[in-house]
Amino acid sequence: MKHDSIRKSLIFYLDNELSENEKAAVERHLEECADCRNFLVFLRKGMQVIEDEKKSEELPFFYTRLSAKLEEIAEPGGQSQWSRLAHPILFSLILALAVYGGLQLGSNASSFSVKQPAVSNIQMLDDFETEPIESFLLSNL
Amino acid sequence: MDEYQLIKGIQQGDRKAFQVLVETYQRMVVNTCMGIVHNKVDAEDLAQDVFLEVFRTAENFRGDSKVSTWVYRIATNRSLNLIRKNKRKRFFQSIEETFSGGKNRGSEISDRRGDQPDQNITDQERSDLLHHAIDQLPEKQRIAFTLNKYEELPYQQIAEIMEISLASVESLIHRAKKNLQKQLYNCYKKRCV
Ligand SMILES: [Zn+2]
Repeated sequence: MKHDSIRKSLIFYLDNELSENEKAAVERHLEECADCRNFLVFLRKGMQVIEDEKKSEELPFFYTRLSAKLEEIAEPGGQSQWSRLAHPILFSLILALAVYGGLQLGSNASSFSVKQPAVSNIQMLDDFETEPIESFLLSNL
Repeated sequence: MDEYQLIKGIQQGDRKAFQVLVETYQRMVVNTCMGIVHNKVDAEDLAQDVFLEVFRTAENFRGDSKVSTWVYRIATNRSLNLIRKNKRKRFFQSIEETFSGGKNRGSEISDRRGDQPDQNITDQERSDLLHHAIDQLPEKQRIAFTLNKYEELPYQQIAEIMEISLASVESLIHRAKKNLQKQLYNCYKKRCV
């Protein structure tokens, strides 16, 4: 029991966050418990990764890159802003036209297919079942 | 020039002031992003986006917090957004792999048992292990822990950045450490690296 509770406090021991009494208890236990000693080494080396990452090297051209991006944004470039805007507008126009066309076609066709709905429903269900689920999911992405 | 003058300058479109601000904070922003996303290229790209947002939104900065607090907040939010996006991507990739019968990479740390002594763990394996452990932390623990460990920020500033109480920060960091220790212990026991 003592072993477990000591082991669970090792990370706080490493960070020097234990009271003097707790610290002394950990050190007494470490003297006699090889498993806790080994884990402490493992833990310290693991946490050392953070210290090593902090010593990262310089960031060359960081501001140069950033400055180039700023220019890109600040550029009035009416043309490119227009095309960016025009894309969704054009797309929704085409979509609206297609939907409208489809509705028109549908309402014209309905007069010919009074007896068909039952059959086509079954076909649709079959189609759905044979469609692989992953392509169904992907098509929704 | 103090930081509020810098912000004033940026608000008026002064590029020189912006450059000083970037050079003052670039390393701390890259470090913070790195602590959350664990990838140098992503961290630098994120840092660029952070400063673009700083430039873009400087006019809204009211000065009721330190400039660094505001910049850290943008950095942590953007990093979290990226990992959420990557998580979604991985989720759909794993669905795809499951259905297409591809191999399932459950954990990035291979569970190679065997009697390797600790000395044989490579630096790469060790850092993969720690990153994996940090990645398993709930978001708030992860942010508080990163700001404290990577940036060595005092709890009070972390509380301001995260807009939570000091007691919450203490509790988040305490739990984060316990969780990390637990994960490292599981790996140590199973000799997962
Ligand atoms: Zn022990």
